[in-house]
Amino acid sequence: MVTIDWTLLSQYIISGVVIGLIYSLMAMGITFIYGIMRIINWSMGEFYMIGGYLQYIIITHFLGVENWYLGVLLSMVGVFLLGMVVQGLLIKPMFQGSVERRTEYATIVTISLGVLFTNVAVIGAGPFIYSPPGYYHGTRILTLPVSGTRFVAFIGTIVLLSLFYLFLKKTWWGRAFQGAAQNRMGIQTAGIDVFRLDQIAFGIGVALAAAAGALLAPEFYLHPRCGSIATMKGFEIIVIGGLGSIPGVLCAGLLLGLIESLGAVFLNPSFRDVYGFLFLLAILAIKPTGLFEERERVA
Amino acid sequence: MKEISYTKITGFKWYSLSIAALLLLVALLPFSTGQYYLQVFTVAFYYVILASSWNLLAGYTGQFSLAHHAFAAIGGYTSALLVTNFGLPIWLGILAAPLSSALMGFILGMLCLRMRAIYLAIATWAFAESVRITISMTYEITRGDLGLAVPKIFPGIGQGVAYYYLFLGLAAMTVLVIMFIIRSRMGYYLRAIRNDEMVARVMGINTTRWKILAFMLSSGIAGIAGAFYGHYNGLLTPVMIDFNEMAFIVIMVVIGGIRSIAGPVIGAILIELLTETFREFGEIRMVVFALAVIAIARLYNEGAVGAVRQGAQWISRRKQAREGVN
Repeated sequence: MVTIDWTLLSQYIISGVVIGLIYSLMAMGITFIYGIMRIINWSMGEFYMIGGYLQYIIITHFLGVENWYLGVLLSMVGVFLLGMVVQGLLIKPMFQGSVERRTEYATIVTISLGVLFTNVAVIGAGPFIYSPPGYYHGTRILTLPVSGTRFVAFIGTIVLLSLFYLFLKKTWWGRAFQGAAQNRMGIQTAGIDVFRLDQIAFGIGVALAAAAGALLAPEFYLHPRCGSIATMKGFEIIVIGGLGSIPGVLCAGLLLGLIESLGAVFLNPSFRDVYGFLFLLAILAIKPTGLFEERERVA
Repeated sequence: MKEISYTKITGFKWYSLSIAALLLLVALLPFSTGQYYLQVFTVAFYYVILASSWNLLAGYTGQFSLAHHAFAAIGGYTSALLVTNFGLPIWLGILAAPLSSALMGFILGMLCLRMRAIYLAIATWAFAESVRITISMTYEITRGDLGLAVPKIFPGIGQGVAYYYLFLGLAAMTVLVIMFIIRSRMGYYLRAIRNDEMVARVMGINTTRWKILAFMLSSGIAGIAGAFYGHYNGLLTPVMIDFNEMAFIVIMVVIGGIRSIAGPVIGAILIELLTETFREFGEIRMVVFALAVIAIARLYNEGAVGAVRQGAQWISRRKQAREGVN
């Protein structure tokens, strides 16, 4: 008879919840962009990376580590603006009739954009690994001792996701975004400039990725390809939760974190990053539309 | 159908003559270049196989697999492990490679291809990363990041010419097979699916089945390429599944010209040559390629092949106009 150490088990569960929620930040960005524009931004991991680098530059050269929260905000703003520019130059023309195959175009363009950013980062900062100083001293969440950075990232994620939720539900802009996700044609007839909306949505989406990058920079370190694992988790989460569904992201993020954490303990910690993919396959086999299916209205 | 009719416009004779001349040039090349460029071309032919087979899936069928490099690696590791661990002859290992890649493709396809195209792209993206991690972590079997030493097809040094012709033959065969598929009934089904899946289904095409078949075929071809590459290179590492490799394939196909037979061939050889020639420029090469791809996708969808085709059409139209005046 195997005795279960309940403290230990609770630690694994809390650790899974923490990491799962942090992954959701990335997934929220991907799913928000998908919900509005029906495209997947494959360069999400590069925006995550840019967010991390910006944060590193800001806190080591200008503001100091104690002002890390300002750094996170500033890197979000920076990446938001970059995203607006990128969207205006590359994604917007897609909706203005000059592009025939939208999915193909968006896939090719955002993949190339990722290559571009990665290599610019290698040229600019070298293939080195940067590690910003931790944001906070080690502490504990209930029974689980955590590093200060992970604690900060956890709290930061909760704050950002709550703000994002309030923004979507309570503000005029948020309602416009919900409308755009349901029916692009419909909100155009209501007099909303949907192109403007797209641009802002893209900016917000990549800013969420940048926030994840900035918050996790001391934990996972910075290098030009540091966004790839987070992006993989993000993609897995959005399929598990159901493409375009916001409650789906939260639910799937937490589930993914739990499965990884428990899989690492009970099966094999080396394959931690593979369990999510197996879970994704299982979901595709059982309920291919994901946990929360978002119905799309075709105009 | 645009793809069929253009041979009539540019003239089949002119077209086949120039291809024959090009083939002769390629066949005689080993006698005029050194070992280094021989190797560059050998690798370029490997990429021709990958780019062409990816184009069959992404270009003609409209299904974006982002794990094409991973399927090549699966083929490579399958063959290498069978040969080194079970003492199989190399040709048997190479035969097994496409089977394992296609089987993986079948499983993934069964799960994703019932859905919209975006599901396949996301699932294959996650699949490629998972394969990379799995290969790195099962180092007792695959030797992980240290790399797996693979027996070579032609043992000994100075076999550059032999490998050159081997990969040239493979690439030519792949292109012919894909050309055959595109011109067959299946090719029409695949293009119908790309153009409008709903309409294709209404016309009575079992779209899911054809999509899975196309995915298996393209993954299987990648598996063969990977197996040969492993036995040529003598070393397999998980770096083969870095996303950069996939991006490389996309860059080759788009710059050459997506949805054409010659496009991926030209793109692969061109990009590989440029990459090797401008080696000292490092990452700047990739930046330039990425910008070129964005510009092509944004401004002009048909790549190098499309440009040549339009040029040829323009010249023949001019000629016709002049003859008309005279």
